[in-house]
Amino acid sequence: MSEPLKPEKPQTQTGGPSKPGATRREFLSDVATGALGIAGLGSMVVTYRYLSPNVLFEPPTTFRAGIPDLYPQDSVTILPEQQVYIVRTDRGFYAVSAVCTHLGCITQWKPELNQIACPCHGSKFQQDGTKIEGPAPRPLPHFAITLTADGQLQVDKLETVNSSQVLKV
Amino acid sequence: MANTSSAGGTLERLRATRVWQSVFRRGPARTNRTRSVAVFGNLFLHFLPVKVRERSLAVRASYYLGSLSFLLFILLTITGILLMFYYHPAVPQAYRDMKDLRFVVSNGVFLRNLHRVAAQLMVLVVFWHMFHVFYRGGYKPPHEFNWVVGVVLLLVTLFLSYTGYLLPWDQLAFWAITVGTNIISAMPVVGKHVRFVSLGGNVVGENALLRFYVLHCVVLPLIAIVFIAIHFWRVQKDGGLTVREDNAGPGK
Amino acid sequence: MPDQENKYEAGISSNAKKDPVRVVFVTKKTSAKVTGDASPQVMAYPHLLMREAIAFMVLVIALVVAALFWDAPLEQLANPLLTPNPAKAPWYFLGLQELLHYFPPLVAGIIIPTLVVVSIVVIPYFNVNVQGKPLWAENRKRNLLIIGCVLIALGVLLVLTDAWTVLAPTAVIGLLMLYSYFTQEGTGAFQKYLGSRPLSWWVMTWFILVAVVLTVVGTYFRGPGWSWVWPWRSHVG
Repeated sequence: MSEPLKPEKPQTQTGGPSKPGATRREFLSDVATGALGIAGLGSMVVTYRYLSPNVLFEPPTTFRAGIPDLYPQDSVTILPEQQVYIVRTDRGFYAVSAVCTHLGCITQWKPELNQIACPCHGSKFQQDGTKIEGPAPRPLPHFAITLTADGQLQVDKLETVNSSQVLKV
Repeated sequence: MANTSSAGGTLERLRATRVWQSVFRRGPARTNRTRSVAVFGNLFLHFLPVKVRERSLAVRASYYLGSLSFLLFILLTITGILLMFYYHPAVPQAYRDMKDLRFVVSNGVFLRNLHRVAAQLMVLVVFWHMFHVFYRGGYKPPHEFNWVVGVVLLLVTLFLSYTGYLLPWDQLAFWAITVGTNIISAMPVVGKHVRFVSLGGNVVGENALLRFYVLHCVVLPLIAIVFIAIHFWRVQKDGGLTVREDNAGPGK
Repeated sequence: MPDQENKYEAGISSNAKKDPVRVVFVTKKTSAKVTGDASPQVMAYPHLLMREAIAFMVLVIALVVAALFWDAPLEQLANPLLTPNPAKAPWYFLGLQELLHYFPPLVAGIIIPTLVVVSIVVIPYFNVNVQGKPLWAENRKRNLLIIGCVLIALGVLLVLTDAWTVLAPTAVIGLLMLYSYFTQEGTGAFQKYLGSRPLSWWVMTWFILVAVVLTVVGTYFRGPGWSWVWPWRSHVG
């Protein structure tokens, strides 16, 4: 053995496996391990927070889409920079994502076919996002659309809503 | 010798698993033999000698200056890589990124401060290490070449610090580097050409920033790693650190 | 032994006699001439490696505390049209910048740094540094004469170039050398210490002293136009 022998503990009972009261060395060793663990964990948390940007230089996810009158009745209008369709029906307004749920290509509205079609792998959707055919696994999500105090449509792409929800104007 | 505390018990059970034993094949290093093999056979540790002289472990022997230089290098690499995630080496985006790091990024101020304070300390510690090795006579044969490798590492450290100095692209950085590169052009015959290639042009501009960035983040660290490895290896091959009983210097 | 019984098994064994593990492979004349040292040795693991781990932890704690209190500076955006006055190099080059005040760029910026680096590199290849005999041990008068001439020549050069920030530490070292020469028979600990210093020690100590003085002057005592300022009067540094 290269380490000096620890003094033997007095044998007052037949040794059970979990005798309470570890040696001072074991206790300090555990405290040190715990402290290092906390420090390591803390470092990872701090590093994760550092790496999550607080300011994004991307188009904002909440945007205004103009006054409702800009959109004719029964129309589907694409907003290209935001990749969102503003759809106006007789029930009201809803905002459908233009990003195909298959692999993320930008879909196109085909008024002659009354379909939203994806050029990449041929997925087709109805104007409310329901899938007609194609490899897309899910329907196109709807985003929350509200009316601001000064009468403009506002879409929040971070909040998805039920596809039956409409904004009555 | 089974550890009776819960943390120790868990570790023992972990060590008994097949997965653990496939990674750490030699078992725990508890005998002198397994400890020798652990250092000798490990990719990262075999740069160190298997045994060290007890006297060289004292703080007063080396003040751990060589170790501190290396540890500072590691710290600078880690903080430097993290800083790279927010830095664009372009003009004037670099300066805006510095502002970002200061005001917007979580813990950005702390990380930059850490990087800078470690950098200043590393230059100081490397100089001190060289002077200390000199005063202890550690350059004497058969260690001459390791001394030369050490001087190379000192120059690499200074260049690392200097190239990093430009990256914030503020007044302090710009003019410090302008003065420095103008001194380089005073070299006879090759001066102007060396300056032209270092800056990627005639002025300290976007080309200079990009070149200094590549030097600072890729070229110089790689050179440093190679020479650090040689430096460690030489110490090991020359039989490890020796310390005279009276801790005396090069006299006598 | 029948062949069927000679089965080879892969396994981990700690029995050196049964499964020898080659730890060191020593051949003749393959390594440097290692100076023997019979002082007691201990295993690198755990003794050295644990101390290194502790050194790392202490270092990280110290640096984290420092980073929490000292902010790295950030001045205005780089402006090629506006030179700050004074435009100072990083602190480790400030000594050089102070030298630039006295000598032309070729000398202070190229020749002197190159000479310094070359001198440091070749230290181990000179016998006088390897033997490390005290400066005043042998040939005292001859050594004094040589040292005296070098110091006087250096002093004249420094006076002619007005490089008094280099002259001052040189004078200090020169005086210490003279003191140590004349107190060779002295009994004080300091006198004995100085008396036993070899030439390499004197040269290196002179170099460090000059470098430190130049760097401190460049950091705290130089203001606009590289003019002399008193730091407590101008809040410089």
